Amino acid sequence: MPEIDDIQLVKRVAQGDERAFLTLYDCYVSRIYGLTVRILGDPMLAEEATQDTFLKLWSRAHTYLAERGSLLLWLLTIARRTALDRLRLERRRPTLSDSNDPTEALQTIPNGDSLPEENRWRSMHFAVQALSPEHRQVIELAYYQGLSQSEIAEVLGWPLGTVKTRLRAAMDHLRQDWGAR
Amino acid sequence: MTYYEHVPFRENIPAYALGALDAEEVAALEAHLRTCASCRDELAAYRSTSESLLMAVPPQKPPAALRRRLQRQLAGGQKAARPRLNWSFSRVAAGVAIVLLLALNVFSVLQVRALRSQQAQLTDQIQNGQMALAMLSYPNTQSFPIKEASVTGSLLLDTEYNNAVLILRGLPSISDDQTYQVWLIAPNGERTSAGLVRPQADLPFLSEPISSAQNLSNFVGIGMTIEPAGGSDSPTGLQIFRVDF
Repeated sequence: MPEIDDIQLVKRVAQGDERAFLTLYDCYVSRIYGLTVRILGDPMLAEEATQDTFLKLWSRAHTYLAERGSLLLWLLTIARRTALDRLRLERRRPTLSDSNDPTEALQTIPNGDSLPEENRWRSMHFAVQALSPEHRQVIELAYYQGLSQSEIAEVLGWPLGTVKTRLRAAMDHLRQDWGAR
Repeated sequence: MTYYEHVPFRENIPAYALGALDAEEVAALEAHLRTCASCRDELAAYRSTSESLLMAVPPQKPPAALRRRLQRQLAGGQKAARPRLNWSFSRVAAGVAIVLLLALNVFSVLQVRALRSQQAQLTDQIQNGQMALAMLSYPNTQSFPIKEASVTGSLLLDTEYNNAVLILRGLPSISDDQTYQVWLIAPNGERTSAGLVRPQADLPFLSEPISSAQNLSNFVGIGMTIEPAGGSDSPTGLQIFRVDF
């Protein structure tokens, strides 16, 4: 969907237009739900976090600033914070590996994405999967489970310096990989 | 600032972009970022990478009910409201336990109240019985037999001490909106109420003291009628019995 359409739709949502809200819901809900499932690992909790995210879109649409990024990025950022807050509330400890089997996840993808959009997230997803297990693990714990470096060191039983080194190396790998695309 | 002075801060920028720095490191790095343009550029690049991690998660189709639920919430104007989707068993059990405890508590209070009421009635009956026995022992007490249809009993009258007790058996049943009313009969036929009577269902007889502001010797008889609940100013209903002194 072109960015200009998103901006118009968000303006209409800010004015209380339910149809515009549902259009954005249909467009982005699978991305939001996918992220919340990834973070929370529980379909019921993920559904609740997804619902909260869209209720925030409904009540805070007027705060969205297009110059700061795409609407999808804004919604995913809200969804991540909402899901991490819930994760802390539930006191769930993180899994030590990517709980979502990528093959299985790819089979559940709806057909709503346009081809360029689908190619984009697929390439990013495979870049993460291409990291070494240690690098993928620290990215998973830091970004998708909301743990600090010292918490990761405690969970994995690694020295803090090792965690810092591996986290930085993982980010550099991704930065180079995505920068080259 | 030299390159080496940047190093400890620059090393923390990837973790900061992921939100994985500890609190004290965050404060130090943010203070440095305010004065260092090159580190801010570095952070912008890593932020782009961390944002891409948001995009790297495969989509998943949510349950169709979620869309319907959101539609209902919008229609109901509940922008900030959120239904609890995952009522855990323990929460439900705790709720049920609280309701049961409250119900049990209310039931106990009602039972105590009913028992106290029964106890008060029994105490009254015992006192009335004791009064009747005491009157029988007085030499001046007169006893008048009562026999009217199914109703039998006695009137114990002591005009010297102005006491009287009605002892009755076989009173016909009355509805909740009715009461028995006792009347004292003056020589001119005028009736003065001597009180309302409601016998206990589980007692075979009624023992009821008669109260009167006037001396009982001013009256020539006593009677009982069925009246509407709350009583009447003068007899209006079915007469149960009449005894002349």
